[in-house]
Amino acid sequence: MKELPEEEQKKILESSPKGTWVIMFIYGVLFTLGFLYFWFELFVARGPVK
Amino acid sequence: MTESTLSSRDIALSEESTNTTNKLAFWNFFIAFAAFALALPMGAYQVLERSGMVPAIENAAVYYASTSTHGVLMAYVLSTFFIMGFGYHTAVHSLKQKLWSPTFAWAGFWIAAIGVVLAAIPLLTGHASVLYTFYPPEIAHPSFYIGAALLVVGSWFWCIDMVVSTVTWKRANPGKPVPLVMYGTVLNAMLWLWTSIGVASEVLFQLIPVSMGWADSLDPGLSRVLFSETLHAIVYFWLFPCYLVMYAILPKEAGGKLFSDEIARVAFVMLFIFSVPIGMHHLYMDPIVAAGWKLLHMFGTFMVAVPTLITGFTIIATLEIAGRLRGGKGLFGWLKTLDYQNPVVLASVFSLLMLTVGGWGGVINASYSLNALVHNTQWVPGHFHLIYGGTTIIMYFAAAYWLWPKITGHQLFSNKLVITQLWLWFVGMWITTIPWHYLGIIGQPRRVDTLQAYQQSEELVRSWDFSMLIMNFGALTLLVSGLLFVYILFMTSRQPMVSDSERVVSYSEAIHPPLQVPHLLNSLSFWNWAMLIYLVASYGYPVLQFWFIGTPESPAWGY
Repeated sequence: MKELPEEEQKKILESSPKGTWVIMFIYGVLFTLGFLYFWFELFVARGPVK
Repeated sequence: MTESTLSSRDIALSEESTNTTNKLAFWNFFIAFAAFALALPMGAYQVLERSGMVPAIENAAVYYASTSTHGVLMAYVLSTFFIMGFGYHTAVHSLKQKLWSPTFAWAGFWIAAIGVVLAAIPLLTGHASVLYTFYPPEIAHPSFYIGAALLVVGSWFWCIDMVVSTVTWKRANPGKPVPLVMYGTVLNAMLWLWTSIGVASEVLFQLIPVSMGWADSLDPGLSRVLFSETLHAIVYFWLFPCYLVMYAILPKEAGGKLFSDEIARVAFVMLFIFSVPIGMHHLYMDPIVAAGWKLLHMFGTFMVAVPTLITGFTIIATLEIAGRLRGGKGLFGWLKTLDYQNPVVLASVFSLLMLTVGGWGGVINASYSLNALVHNTQWVPGHFHLIYGGTTIIMYFAAAYWLWPKITGHQLFSNKLVITQLWLWFVGMWITTIPWHYLGIIGQPRRVDTLQAYQQSEELVRSWDFSMLIMNFGALTLLVSGLLFVYILFMTSRQPMVSDSERVVSYSEAIHPPLQVPHLLNSLSFWNWAMLIYLVASYGYPVLQFWFIGTPESPAWGY
């Protein structure tokens, strides 16, 4: 692995972690969809205890 | 003064101090991993037994003795001794000062070790088959409770050592930020001191007197409330060192820097404060606590997800930086350039991946209504195995691989086997726990050794068959991986010695090492006062009500 020039390293260290934001957003969407699925499809849909 | 300057400052630890710490760390790890090695085959046995696919091994008494032993060894012995060993090593190498009192530390070690032996004897002989959560009014042999109490008391010695070491350092370095890894360690020690009050009270004032015959009955409701005070915060006690490896060791191993020191400190204090007043989400289905208290604890449980999300963000950002420094381009190109041959990097990625589903499952458990759907089903073991067995233990493996050459002086045996072991654990954990989650959703109960009792509903039992078959493969994969881990550590002790430079311990730097941090992100006393107030507010009345109401007691049964 070749070392990046110092200027480029500095730029990376100072830049916003865009990929991380996108991963967190995707996770947030999947998390919410999973929760809603649980609520509406598994919990509410089964109705009251008989 | 920054953390980076502190770590580079030439404060040589004496050889004696380093050797003492290495010995302490080694023997704590030794007991932790010996417990792991003993508990591991029991886990595989339970899965096979429960599946009903090997009739020859079906035996209810052995199953419950094995389940209780597996739980105690994995959840209490492995975790406590690992955390103590990791903490002693961290205290000396991050603070660059000798341990406050090695004699005190060894005393704690021996008290805890004797406790383990006292608890193990009744467990292994079937006289303490009360599961690791005790479940009074079931009563075990007194030796089990005395052993458990000694294990907790021994761990308190470690907590005190961590607190005194940090306070000593703070006095010698006024105004300077406590090194991040030590700040997390000491907060975890204080967390354990506070949260273990619940289980210690239950064992000392209820279980030991009844098991010794000094009392005829006990109040199971009070026991459950006291235990809940420990039960959920203990998860964060286990998790804390994993996060510390991610914050303090991973960035350097990955070839980068920590995204933010301050954010890490915020996550630590949030974990400390929010992890305690949440235990009653384990009691949603119990009539002994009023709904309002359960609701309060539900909100508390949601709050504790926040520092976990902060940790997820910070660690992924740290990995992104490392990947980009290694030449990764584009939105996700950095994922390809990470060094997956490094055990700490690989384990951290696996740990985070397991945390995504485990954390989501935790929010389902914490939701008052949804909990009713999964309560006491196989979903629950699926969840806690994914969080503890997966997210947590894989980081214990990573920490051991990182530390072993430093504390023993021997080269790590076969990086290829190490990587294989981590992959097997990751894959095995999914193959085991995904079927368990699914089985819970379709109604399979937990805590039963045999499913014969459900034969009257053939259609229901048949719907479990495929998942039951799959989980066997997962359990066997985990067994192979766990044995491989022990083998690697054993073989490492027979490897050539590493150079002195390879034994030097240094922690990761943040992108912007803090010159100063806000007082609250370096404080111990403020957070202890906050904890006291929060604890009294969330547990004071729910505990006292048992005296106000005068709830009926239950006679002991079992041993």
